[in-house]
Amino acid sequence: MRKTIKMAVVAAALSLTGAASAADLVFTSWGGTTQDAQKAAWADKFASATGANVLMDGPTDYGKIKAMVEAGSVSWDVVDAEGDYAVQAGQNGLLEKLDFNVIDKSKLDPRFVTDYSVGSFYYSFVIGYNAATVSEGPKTWADLFDTQKFPGKRTFYKWSAPGVIEAALLADGVAADKLYPLDLDRAFKKLDTIKGDIVWWTGGAQSQQLLASAEAPYGMFWNGRLTALEQTGVKVGVSWEQNITAADSLVVPKGSKNKDAAMKFIALATSAEGQKDFSIATGYAPTNLGSAALMDEAMRKTLPDAQSASQVNADMNYWAANRDAIGTRWYAWQAE
Amino acid sequence: MSAVTETTAAGNSERARGTSGWAYALPALLLLLIFFVVPVVGLLLRSVLEPEPGLGNYATLFGSSTYLRIFLNTFMVSAVVTALSVVIGFPVAWMLAIMPSRWASVVFAILLLSMWTNLLARTYAWMVLLQRTGVINKTLMNLGLIDQPLALVNNLVGVTIGMTYIMLPFVILPLRGVIKAIDPAILQAASLCGATRWQCLTRVLIPLALPGVAAGALMVFVMSLGYFVTPALLGGTANMMLAEMIAQFVQSLVNWGMGGAAAFVLLVVTLCIYGIQLRLFGAGRLGQGA
Repeated sequence: MRKTIKMAVVAAALSLTGAASAADLVFTSWGGTTQDAQKAAWADKFASATGANVLMDGPTDYGKIKAMVEAGSVSWDVVDAEGDYAVQAGQNGLLEKLDFNVIDKSKLDPRFVTDYSVGSFYYSFVIGYNAATVSEGPKTWADLFDTQKFPGKRTFYKWSAPGVIEAALLADGVAADKLYPLDLDRAFKKLDTIKGDIVWWTGGAQSQQLLASAEAPYGMFWNGRLTALEQTGVKVGVSWEQNITAADSLVVPKGSKNKDAAMKFIALATSAEGQKDFSIATGYAPTNLGSAALMDEAMRKTLPDAQSASQVNADMNYWAANRDAIGTRWYAWQAE
Repeated sequence: MSAVTETTAAGNSERARGTSGWAYALPALLLLLIFFVVPVVGLLLRSVLEPEPGLGNYATLFGSSTYLRIFLNTFMVSAVVTALSVVIGFPVAWMLAIMPSRWASVVFAILLLSMWTNLLARTYAWMVLLQRTGVINKTLMNLGLIDQPLALVNNLVGVTIGMTYIMLPFVILPLRGVIKAIDPAILQAASLCGATRWQCLTRVLIPLALPGVAAGALMVFVMSLGYFVTPALLGGTANMMLAEMIAQFVQSLVNWGMGGAAAFVLLVVTLCIYGIQLRLFGAGRLGQGA
């Protein structure tokens, strides 16, 4: 009996170490349709090109990154993180410097490149409404904040991140080029006017559910989630008026055990081809300037980079510098 | 919970060896030390060391009306959920105890199956049921009972309904054990001596079942204090609970000093409640409950 148990323990230990060494790269992202697309466009291609075994993990968790780096036991090699976090984490020593001998940054959108991060994809916060239940939807941020013209619930992104505060200021009449530094007092005052009518969404899937069920017939969404919802047959109205862009970044946590593979993975993910495939699958915009030429005209029209007329770029550097202060105030305001 | 296992484990080994069973508890204690005590101490250290040494994090925590409101809200929700769970759970436990065993096992299976179903799935199911365009509101509106959908979710009502549902088994299971152990002859004796049915319930059954009620209520209250998933999904931001606040500090703001301070306060409060419970009912009687 004792012997059997011993053997079972040894076998279990062997299989555990086997599993650990079989992963040549661990890629972490936010789950859902976005990570599915990242797997298909990047991870599967990387695996077949190099023979490496790419393990998918998630969701991205900044607390975990900090814990891993501090403990010196980093199990994530490439992480998809929000752009403002990436800038801040790079400054705080939590990330590896990227190797631009491996990653070709000459073709990458310079808005999203730092020493420690490159754009993973970029997205727009847009105004969306359920066209089956609302005939005339909100067109501007001011409309979305107007409870007289548009009564009922509206949904916004719950977490402290670039987007909602900018939308509130734009709705209050702040000019797009005068947004930064953000006037937080004014933004929260504006948000107070609709606070009781806000349903917060914590993730993309929830935002889709709220809109599709008309639980909140309008709101502020990631453009790709609306594209995906439309493809399932839900009647969705979209307004790109003053769409607010923000980007996700690819980063390598400091102390990654597969640093070389991580650089090669990022090189593939940010290549014109990799970015094109991901964009087609998700409706998010490529961060490689060469990708557009590889896509057909109809597809390109639905992407944020075709909506530059009134586009507002969230300032990632401002956010990186003020992330903690804004976040503390944001959550305190929400809990009031 | 741990007191329950400890007492039964100790009892068994005493019967087996006739001596103290501490050695047998050693692996469990070691596990607790490495995976529980050490991280908790680490967290406590962070709360007084980050960002700079001192009690600054605790001062911020207790000095802000927002955080105090979150503490209060957490206690209020936990108290309401505990009270509701006991009120709803007691009759169910009683019924389970006196039912023919064939039927009791069916009810038991329903209870356990619901416990074993994924928590997230169950919470999402409540979301779908309770929302403005959900089944409950639609039915009530179609029946003409209401004109406007009731706000059942993203507020305190949603959290209370969802959490009470999830906590119910933790009251019912220990209570059932205690009620089953009560000799039916005692109730008969009471009624023979002229007690009314109401007196039998309030003067005999409930006092005898009190250790079970206390065990169940304690478990529910303590679990509720640190509950995360259900309040996060069914509650609004205006009635945030402590666990959500800690998650925000740890994950979103990456402010582990504040997260550690909040977690430590929660731990101290929980231990205090447990201490009071032990004083009032004693570990042995708690053990009987489970």
